[in-house]
Amino acid sequence: MILSLAWASLVRHRARTLLAVAGVAISAAMLLDMVMLASGMRVSFRSLLLAQGFQIRLAPRGTLPFDTDATIPGATAIMSQLKARRDVVAVSPVLGAQLHVERGAASVSAAALGTIASVQGDYKILTGRAPTIDGEAAANDALLSATVARLGDTLSVAAGFDPQLRAFTGQRTLRVVGRAHFIYLAAGERALALPLTSLQAMEGASRADRVSLIMVRLREGAAVEAARSAIDREIPVVSAISTATAIEQVEQRLSYFRQLAFILGSVSLAVGFLLVTTLVTVSVNERLGEIAVLRAIGVRRARIVEQILIEGSVIMLVGAVVGMGLGLITARYLNSILASFPGLPEAIHFFLFQPRDAWMALGLLAACGILAGIYPAWRGASLPIAGTLREEAVA
Amino acid sequence: MFLHFIPLLLAAQSIDSAPPHHAPRTVAIDERLARDAGLRLGDTLVLTPMPGGAGDTVIVAALVRRPRDPSEVARGAYRIRVHLDELQQLVGYGERVERFAIATRGSSGADSALRAIDASAFGFRAFSSREIAVESSTTFLVVSRFHRAIGVITIVASAVFLLCIMLLKVDERRRDVAALRLMGISSGTVVRGVVLESALIATCGSIAGVGLGALVSAFVNWHYQRVYRTPLTFSLVTGDIVVIAVGLSLGLGLAAGWLAAQRLVRQPPLSLFGR
Repeated sequence: MILSLAWASLVRHRARTLLAVAGVAISAAMLLDMVMLASGMRVSFRSLLLAQGFQIRLAPRGTLPFDTDATIPGATAIMSQLKARRDVVAVSPVLGAQLHVERGAASVSAAALGTIASVQGDYKILTGRAPTIDGEAAANDALLSATVARLGDTLSVAAGFDPQLRAFTGQRTLRVVGRAHFIYLAAGERALALPLTSLQAMEGASRADRVSLIMVRLREGAAVEAARSAIDREIPVVSAISTATAIEQVEQRLSYFRQLAFILGSVSLAVGFLLVTTLVTVSVNERLGEIAVLRAIGVRRARIVEQILIEGSVIMLVGAVVGMGLGLITARYLNSILASFPGLPEAIHFFLFQPRDAWMALGLLAACGILAGIYPAWRGASLPIAGTLREEAVA
Repeated sequence: MFLHFIPLLLAAQSIDSAPPHHAPRTVAIDERLARDAGLRLGDTLVLTPMPGGAGDTVIVAALVRRPRDPSEVARGAYRIRVHLDELQQLVGYGERVERFAIATRGSSGADSALRAIDASAFGFRAFSSREIAVESSTTFLVVSRFHRAIGVITIVASAVFLLCIMLLKVDERRRDVAALRLMGISSGTVVRGVVLESALIATCGSIAGVGLGALVSAFVNWHYQRVYRTPLTFSLVTGDIVVIAVGLSLGLGLAAGWLAAQRLVRQPPLSLFGR
């Protein structure tokens, strides 16, 4: 009976109920988006960092990986030191540089990564194979398209320019042996990978035995933080960064989005709460006589409270379910806006759907729906029966 | 006379031209570093390109305030300004620089200088300051687009909320409206009355909203200026923004009132009485 009464009360004012559901749906959509924004970046950044199984990254002391042009000196000795550790499984050095692919009189710039193919974790080969010897390279689609090159073609590449001699420096002819997808680079960024020693030689004396980054993979079950701390202490020229600290540092830089998510999420929740409270309160005020009659014929207070709470919860839940769908659509749109941040890796998503987020948003909204019904329910249940009936009869 | 700057791919920043070598080398450090490290003018520092390596002893000769550059806001790195020749020597850069900034006389001078430099350049390119500004402001354009999208969602939510509230308010007046109609008051007058009421509510809401917005804006600036330690203004309530917000709010209020009133006057007065 209680359910039928609650339903009858909701359908009695269809337009009003539909508007309330629409309002709650928009609030729910916003809430879901903000919950996704609050955790999406962290989750996608974490999965990006762990995608290749490297738990620790070593950058030049005081910097973040590839945050500056600084490099780590004495890379060979550092790598030997790292490999000697029992908890280390693999060490992958990376040198980053800007190379220029000659195209007649002009040149096309591209990001270049010097790696050791057998342990590298920066790119995935889509076709062909990874470059293993001097004179080989793997390029991504953006570079192949800009240079109109294909697998097997050769590229004339230079590391720099000498303005006084008006000549390229560090020139090489590289054969494209693979088509690659670079995991940490932005969409559309031109890039090529070549053996570490080739890139170091092209860059000249300034990059001899230097790397930009060293990635370390630990044995399964190894204590990451203890290993990070030990490496940081033992090798003074590097900052050892674990996945957790990297996420923390990136979050510090992008704390704005987390705070925005918290503020807008709270506002959405408050708007939904106000809307449902107002609607249910007005609905109860309109039915004081009806509630008094129910009480007069012996319906218990708890049943009245139950009915009013059900009304609030139904509006909130129906709105929330509609809002979840709406939220996914708007999240996709908002993510497409933020994905155009310059230099943002393609794999990073600010809005990432996780079932946990949806449950959290639904839970918050359900709690809000119940809370929103408390005041009108208390008002309805505490009516003086005789007085209300008399007032309603006079009215 | 307008000076137009044409930065080329960059050089390390220098305080002034190279001082005589017998003079003590000086550096300028940013206020943030001075505050965090407890440094003062006249303090002596050792600059090294690598931790624990050999370096140069320098004297803190100036404290500099960071420019109001939004692209620097999320970066916590400290800045030290060193004489160019000293930095080149310290980091083994030889005679290389990363960019030049060039001041020219007049905009035509800038254009012709750009063309001349590009024509003779090899290994570098000249950019106008405007080009660089456009390139470096991409991040903020993205953030601005994101804010606009969030703003549109907020407006839609507000419109639904307002319509719902107006509907409830008008519904509460069913009997009053029925009585007015039975007394011979035309439906047009009833609609105008309701619309006027909703305009009044929207105006009051707008005034309260502008006040609240100004307070929140002040809080946002206070909070983020402390978080990022910058004098940058993060939130700005301008006249244009107030006009748009009040206009939207009034427009939405009037539309909501009109819709709710129309719904009411379409029903016969007796049915509004519940008969």
